[in-house]
Amino acid sequence: MRYLSLYQEGNSLLHKIDPITKLLFVIIAILVPIIINTLTMALAFFIISTLLVFVARAFKRTLPIISFSSLVIITVLFIQGLFYLKNQTPFFTLGPFVFYKEGLLYATGIAIRIFNIINAVAVLIFTTKPSDLIEALVKKGVSPKIGYVFSSVLQIIPQMMSIVDTILDAQKARGLETEGSFTKRAKAFIPLIGPAVLNSLISTKERAMALEVRGFNSKKKKTFLNEVPYNKYSNVLQVALIAILVFSIIWRIISW
Amino acid sequence: MVNLVVEHLKYRYPLGNELALEDISFEVKKGEFIGIIGENGSGKSTLCQAIVGLVPNFYKGAYGGKVLVKEIEVAQSDVSEISSYVGIVFQNPFTQITGSKLTVYEEVAFGLENLGIPREEMIKRIEESLKLLRLFEYRHFNPFELSGGQMQRLAIASVIAMKPDILVLDEPTSQLDPQGSEEVFQAIQDLAKNGMTIIIAEHKIEKIASYADKIILLHKGKLVDFDTPEKIFSREDIEEYGIVPPVYTRICKSLNVKNEAGFYPVTLEQVYYELVKVYG
Repeated sequence: MRYLSLYQEGNSLLHKIDPITKLLFVIIAILVPIIINTLTMALAFFIISTLLVFVARAFKRTLPIISFSSLVIITVLFIQGLFYLKNQTPFFTLGPFVFYKEGLLYATGIAIRIFNIINAVAVLIFTTKPSDLIEALVKKGVSPKIGYVFSSVLQIIPQMMSIVDTILDAQKARGLETEGSFTKRAKAFIPLIGPAVLNSLISTKERAMALEVRGFNSKKKKTFLNEVPYNKYSNVLQVALIAILVFSIIWRIISW
Repeated sequence: MVNLVVEHLKYRYPLGNELALEDISFEVKKGEFIGIIGENGSGKSTLCQAIVGLVPNFYKGAYGGKVLVKEIEVAQSDVSEISSYVGIVFQNPFTQITGSKLTVYEEVAFGLENLGIPREEMIKRIEESLKLLRLFEYRHFNPFELSGGQMQRLAIASVIAMKPDILVLDEPTSQLDPQGSEEVFQAIQDLAKNGMTIIIAEHKIEKIASYADKIILLHKGKLVDFDTPEKIFSREDIEEYGIVPPVYTRICKSLNVKNEAGFYPVTLEQVYYELVKVYG
């Protein structure tokens, strides 16, 4: 069954923590280094989120994302090392290029912040089922309609893709050429678009009716089949994370 | 006890020029199995949707008359609120899967969550309906992994978990293979045995003839007749409405074998009974 998700089954400590706490950590890990804009704070959060990636046993799956982002980071290092406005102290030279300490430090700060965000988000998406996260958000007051849109998209898009494959096979069986030059492939799309779009529109209408008759727009207070297991540590963690955020805001105001 | 009252129902789709339903009136008693037959475009699906309130609440359009489910006028109520009294299963099993749930078990819970059913009651109802529809062993499957027949049974399970008094089925087997159709009809038969009021629009005449207590014959949006299968299929003009009577009825017509009331038998059992009487 195709399902758009990066969730990785596991039983690490982070798999057992409720989705809201992990989401809160992602928000804090992004916001606090922005609020307290020092390299030390960014480095502290980078170390924490990297450790959490290892605790979640998600390093192997995070590595490709980090490698891809590294290409961008190297470009930033080059540009800032060479052209940062406050460049004064030459650090090293590479042929005709002189790299400055100020620019390289600034670019390192950006790199640490980006890697911190990647690691924090990786902890969330690799250890949390999207459906659990969405359900947790709906329980916290997010509109069930918004929740439905996000949770259904993860399954319905792969289903629609397989319908497109079926239509494509049907068109091929009628002699449509779908391989070859770019023009040939572009032309092959035209007889595909009509049935695919019509099919999607009809399916959407039928699904809307099916949802309607299953009480989707009911004004009654929604209940939930899945219970979030009570975890006293989650509550403590949530309070601690919010306290960190509040403290960082106060710190920023005081030190202004 | 009357479960459903339809009084002088008229309906025209927003972009339509002709009435899709014209002065339809009938009553359905609790526990009855009602078949709706008619050729394509006769108004079967529109009537099914009018019973659950999708017509006119979802489609809008011009509407007249009344549909009363347990004395509640469906046109004046939200479809979501009516769903506790009357449920509907559509033709396409695939589009009835919500797409937001990862297991069959959770899929059945969807409607119950929306209606605010307490969790313990929800679990009880889910397990009951999955067992009744013979899907309990598939409860951990992803709904999209099921076959067409299983998916349609899941759609029925999801609706009956909401404990409606009436179950409406709009050509539930039209997109299924013979095996899938048989599975669904078996499930419908089980529900009928449990006393549920069933209204089914269907092209498979043999099935309707053998299960239905009464049949509604529609033609161009009008109710031509509402009577027992024997009376409906014994009509001399039945084929003028695009209906080919069951094979047993046609055989009995050619042999001129009628029951005591003067109508042709519609099922194998009835034919056997009448032939034994004639030939011993």
